[in-house]
Amino acid sequence: MSLAALQQEFMGHVLDEERPLPRHWDARMGEGLAIYRNAYRTRLIDALRETSPKTALWVGDEAFAQAAAHRLILHPPQGWTLDLIGEGFVETLEELFAADPDVADLAWLEWAMHLAFTAPDCPPMDAAGFAEATSDFGEEDWATMRLAFMPSLHVRAVSRDCGALWRALEREEPPANAPLPESPMHCIVWREGLEPVFAQVPARDGNHLAAMRAGSSFGEICAALAEELPADQAAAEAGAMLGDWIGRGIVQGVSSGLPVAG
Amino acid sequence: MSGIPSFHGFGLGLRRPHYSAFMAGDVPVDFIEIISENYMVDGGRPLAVLDAVRERYPVAMHGVSLSVGSAQGVDWDYLARLKALAERIEPLWMSDHLCWTRTSAHNSHDLLPLPYTAEALDVVCANLARAQDALGRELLLENPSSYCSFPDDEMAEWEFLSEVCRRTGCHLLLDVNNVYVSARNHGFAADDFLAGIPMERVRQIHLAGHTPGAILIDTHDREVCDDVWALYAEAIAMTGPVATMIERDDAIPPLPVLLAELDVARDIAAQTERRAA
Ligand SMILES: [Fe+2]
Repeated sequence: MSLAALQQEFMGHVLDEERPLPRHWDARMGEGLAIYRNAYRTRLIDALRETSPKTALWVGDEAFAQAAAHRLILHPPQGWTLDLIGEGFVETLEELFAADPDVADLAWLEWAMHLAFTAPDCPPMDAAGFAEATSDFGEEDWATMRLAFMPSLHVRAVSRDCGALWRALEREEPPANAPLPESPMHCIVWREGLEPVFAQVPARDGNHLAAMRAGSSFGEICAALAEELPADQAAAEAGAMLGDWIGRGIVQGVSSGLPVAG
Repeated sequence: MSGIPSFHGFGLGLRRPHYSAFMAGDVPVDFIEIISENYMVDGGRPLAVLDAVRERYPVAMHGVSLSVGSAQGVDWDYLARLKALAERIEPLWMSDHLCWTRTSAHNSHDLLPLPYTAEALDVVCANLARAQDALGRELLLENPSSYCSFPDDEMAEWEFLSEVCRRTGCHLLLDVNNVYVSARNHGFAADDFLAGIPMERVRQIHLAGHTPGAILIDTHDREVCDDVWALYAEAIAMTGPVATMIERDDAIPPLPVLLAELDVARDIAAQTERRAA
């Protein structure tokens, strides 16, 4: 057997215990393979549990291990880093717990916090920096202004108050039911210094944040707000949102004019 | 290509429960070993911790994902990130394992065993030479624990390792516990292994605990056993003074427990040196 064929065969046995042994691999080989298979499963399920400990606590260890195993069977890891083992796990939980959207919301929050933990280091733009960068802005500049956000920023519309759920699980006091937010919410995650943090914001702010992050201009956001609110309120709201983002430290830079390619 | 600095002393692995002690620099060790992949990230706390630790200790980089035995070759993106980390922390040296971890489609995140064949030897030497070129330095290759041996084998593990050293100029990281575990699992004599490798190429030694059973498993979750200490004494009588560290990755005890265990290694090394003098 060539080395490539041997490695394909061996990996096949690591991934699948039902696979029949080739004729020239004896029972002793089978015992060894079982050790590698077992170590593979344990390591990867543990790695998923390490990135989603609150989700594991929320759904219970057995249900979590089943979901993790389901994920790994359908999507065995391809990359070299175990750090990204949780990529796509939220989608798996959305399918498996379709009736309980709080599970995927919570898992998303843990995954976003995990990604923020090792996101690139860069200082946020503070209010003074923003004032300086926009000091000579004319009307056209404000309309075409685009923001660069911190690389640690993640935004998601959530159906439950996953912040309250997070804090309850942190105290290891899981509530009977996931708390409902008072009004539709987005959850945002970013990093302050070395600490990943999250906050919940009203759905409207969250939608506009997501739009600007996807490349919308400030003018487009203002126009969208003007359709929802009276003109003076829309302008005030746009300014307040911008101030809130800068205050939180999720803005990294500002530019105006036509978007630069790339 | 730069050589490996002459360095010996006693070290421990950098693991999360002990971050603050190592950052403060008050742990009496001569060097620290990191798992390279844990710090091959864009930013944040892991790199901040590593930078602080590096200011206080020499650091050896120990990788688990090179997959030097993969039939489809090296992963250039991985090597580029590994090199970037090396440039950041200027390690004593960099090591990985004589094993494979991935096929073109999947990554096992485990150190899988190689058949000791002429074909595998060619693959390992070609991959290792490419990796050493890309990194601009010679690497240390570690003997892994293994739980399978292949009917295809054409040579012993130590013959395979010796030939890799000869052809690529690489050095060795001798894991004494892995020699013990593999010897028991595959029925060879640990002494034959020690006598069969080029001891002058050994730049670092690993010690660790394993789980006993019909097949021994390299779990790094308990103290080093007496048989492995005895084998360590034999090994360093052959190598002379060499950097030694204890690997502990599970059921990690408080630092004083690991330091006391490291003192055992110091004592054995001192006794061996006295006997040799
Ligand atoms: Fe080792």
